[in-house]
Amino acid sequence: MEKMNIKDFINELKDALEIEDEDQKITLETNLKDLEEYDSLSVLSIIAMIDKNFGKQIPSSDFAKVTTVNSLKDLIGKKHFE
Amino acid sequence: MAVKISKIEYYLPKKILSNNDLENEFPGLNINKIEEKVGIKERHIVKEDETALDLALIVGKKILENYDKDKIDFLLFCTQSPEYYLPSGACILQDRLGLNKNMGAFDYNLGCSGFVYGLALAKSLIISKIASHILLITSDTISAYINYKDKSNRATFGDAAAATIIEQSEEEQIGEFVLGTDGSGYKNLIVPNGGLRNRYNPNAKEIDEGSGSIRTDNDLYMNGPEIFNFTIKAVPKLVSKTLEKNNISLEEIDYIIFHQANKYINEYLRKKIGIPKEKYYLNLLNTGNTVSATIPIAIKDVLDNKLIKKGDKILLVGFGVGYSWGGTIITI
Repeated sequence: MEKMNIKDFINELKDALEIEDEDQKITLETNLKDLEEYDSLSVLSIIAMIDKNFGKQIPSSDFAKVTTVNSLKDLIGKKHFE
Repeated sequence: MAVKISKIEYYLPKKILSNNDLENEFPGLNINKIEEKVGIKERHIVKEDETALDLALIVGKKILENYDKDKIDFLLFCTQSPEYYLPSGACILQDRLGLNKNMGAFDYNLGCSGFVYGLALAKSLIISKIASHILLITSDTISAYINYKDKSNRATFGDAAAATIIEQSEEEQIGEFVLGTDGSGYKNLIVPNGGLRNRYNPNAKEIDEGSGSIRTDNDLYMNGPEIFNFTIKAVPKLVSKTLEKNNISLEEIDYIIFHQANKYINEYLRKKIGIPKEKYYLNLLNTGNTVSATIPIAIKDVLDNKLIKKGDKILLVGFGVGYSWGGTIITI
């Protein structure tokens, strides 16, 4: 599976969270739990996004510990990113 | 010896819980998102004094209306909302439906895979000449297990009962089965208290599940993300194994009916497996996830709406609580 760059990853994440506002800034430091859009359904969307792009399933116990976008990236695994 | 499904009926309890009702109870609830993403607008739920056996009785009478009920020589009752610990609800149904005493009857405890397992059981009972005409009833009232403060599960599940008659046929209309089980996931969809391991606890404390959903261990618990992980792993394999065992390709299948879990999950599975939209059933708008009844409701729905015709091959796929899963192919 190809490595993904951070910009594409953030765009995929914005899609999963259905953030349509192009100006809304999401960075590696953004805490997902602070986002208005983050709810139990967005967790499903992120699981789907990770499965589609990385062919991986993240155990829910690990998922519960996710805070920032960066922590999500670490959970997926550094080797999957450029 | 060959077998077929000869009749299907279903029944939804009269009381309706709509998205607007939920919005009144949970201010700020995004009901557009529930309709668009979860794919549910309303669910039918039982009244406090109404049970899965009551629904089973109604749907059983309905299916036997124009049918020689003395022919029924086996009753399979699938429920996870039993009337009593013992006896079997199936025994009570034999009497209340006025069925022949010379027949076998028992309950089995499965959820979303229950209908496919019921077909597998019915087929094997007929082929082994233990029975010739089988009444399979799948009935669940999951709403009775859901904490009234549990927003997510109340939005997801509905109650329903379905009845199916399986009997001998000239040509084989129920194909080969692929069944699977992985009990390591049992804690991810469970009612923890109320059985003999953990008795019902009147003082059970409230647990905040986040996203504004509260429950206790006396109530239904579902780890949604983990269940989704399970379906992502299990369902595509189940589909390919079922096709393989039946010597048929996805292209040759006329219609595909999965257990209706929620719109988001089912739509993701469709895309992942590569099933064309026009061949794929996706409708839980007015019922919600009705556990063991979603597949028979879907079959009846597509038959009534003439989306399938005689001779069509339908892939059926059930998956969920247990974990338990099963697939088969039926010919209409």
